[in-house]
Amino acid sequence: MGVDTIVQTFTNALVLGSIYAMVAVGLAIAFGVMQMANFAHGELFMAGSYVVFTLYTLVGIPFLIAVILAFPIVAAIGMVFERLIFRPTRGNVLAGFMATAGAGFILQVLVGQQWGVGLMRSIQTPYPGSTEILGAAISYQRLLIFPATVVMVSGLWYFLTRVKHGKALRACAQDPEAAVLQGISLNKMTSLAMLLSGGFAGVGGALMAPIIPVTPYMGHTFAVTAFIIVIVGGMASIEGAVIAAFILGFIHTIVTTMYDSVTATMVGVFFMALVLIVKPTGLMGRVKV
Amino acid sequence: MTVLLELKNTSVFYGKVRATSSVSISVPEGQIITLIGSNGAGKSTTLRMISGLERPQEGDVLFEGQSILSLPPEKITGIGIAHVPEGRRVFSQMTVMENLEMGAYLRSESKEMARNLDLVFSHFPRLKERVGQYAGTMSGGEQQMLAMGRALMSNPKLILMDEPTLGLSPIMCQEIAGIIKEINGNGRTIVLVEQNARLALALAHYGYVLDTGEVVIEGAADKLRENGDIQKTYLGLD
Repeated sequence: MGVDTIVQTFTNALVLGSIYAMVAVGLAIAFGVMQMANFAHGELFMAGSYVVFTLYTLVGIPFLIAVILAFPIVAAIGMVFERLIFRPTRGNVLAGFMATAGAGFILQVLVGQQWGVGLMRSIQTPYPGSTEILGAAISYQRLLIFPATVVMVSGLWYFLTRVKHGKALRACAQDPEAAVLQGISLNKMTSLAMLLSGGFAGVGGALMAPIIPVTPYMGHTFAVTAFIIVIVGGMASIEGAVIAAFILGFIHTIVTTMYDSVTATMVGVFFMALVLIVKPTGLMGRVKV
Repeated sequence: MTVLLELKNTSVFYGKVRATSSVSISVPEGQIITLIGSNGAGKSTTLRMISGLERPQEGDVLFEGQSILSLPPEKITGIGIAHVPEGRRVFSQMTVMENLEMGAYLRSESKEMARNLDLVFSHFPRLKERVGQYAGTMSGGEQQMLAMGRALMSNPKLILMDEPTLGLSPIMCQEIAGIIKEINGNGRTIVLVEQNARLALALAHYGYVLDTGEVVIEGAADKLRENGDIQKTYLGLD
């Protein structure tokens, strides 16, 4: 394997890990605060791609602005889901599963109605061309994803550790009842959690729109990987989700380069099983007392 | 003496099971009132009902003369009732300082927060030394201090304490008891739930004995200490 292949694989892994991180972090926050696995998370990612498709490809707004707009738009969808569908089922695992999975189907059907089902929507890349690093060609479009993730995840980190409402969000994830006793409104926090969760998934989908085929069902594979990442990282742990996202990004990219993507998925799931055997709470998980 | 909190014939059900039955309690301002009784007597349920975590199916809860039954728990904290829950329930993945900030969630205006923080550190100098430590890495006694400090950060009129000495060493129990006395001395009303009846009756002005969800005896704490039945059942004296 030449240097160029190694560099290529490494950057590809970094980019994939970044996208995984952006998608998984939102899932972890939502799980932490709502104590509910959001099976519509992949569809929020898909919605982000369609925001770019609509605003950039159809309307003609600059790509970066479309990506930035994906945050509030998909965050709003997340908050509406939370208010109308998730909140009434909070605390009931089975109802929560059906409600979130159902919300995902609703979004798929709505998008399919509007823009067509199964149609491969090709979105022209706004940044054609690539740069060459040690003989490896890396497209600008992909290169954009890594710094975008660094900025967003750092911003989230700042919010959760320095801002009052961010800290309250962490408190809710650790012990909702104790948080309520401090005067924190659980409903406001679940709404905030879905705002962040939706926004991050939306930007992730928006950034990937020119790179992968955009269909109403595109969120599925990303959601499955995001669940694996959140489990590996330790449910509800944000730092765990980020670390696990990059590990999975590297595993998938390296195995895909050497073998194929089906083997890569298998190795990823095997890795999850291994982590759970060695440390059942996940990498950064904690035992609930 | 003004009555700060009043429970009028309250009953709480868990599904069809009656947890407490027609409990009436009156908490005068500035006093320590204790609820004692064995496991499952309904002590914790009564506290959880006051802070809105459980709803009574019968009866009423009055705070400063107003019914608070329609308020959600986060609003009840806002009107001046703090709850130190059983098992401490500190935010273990957050630092001591962050835990105290959460206690001040509704009182985060910087001057007021600084004043409350000074007060907490005067009661618990040990917390001041450990502001950067993660709450989960502290001992049980220190976590209890943090849970009490967190409650004080909301500058409450009334503090509900659920088993503050449970699982602590005898020396730590004494220390916590001393601090409870100190906090009350600063003019805060306290409702204390304890399995350690000896300690509770030594601290309190007035006590209620609960058994299977009902108040069976009530009276001034020193009278209860001399009551033969209570000595036999709860103080282990013959």
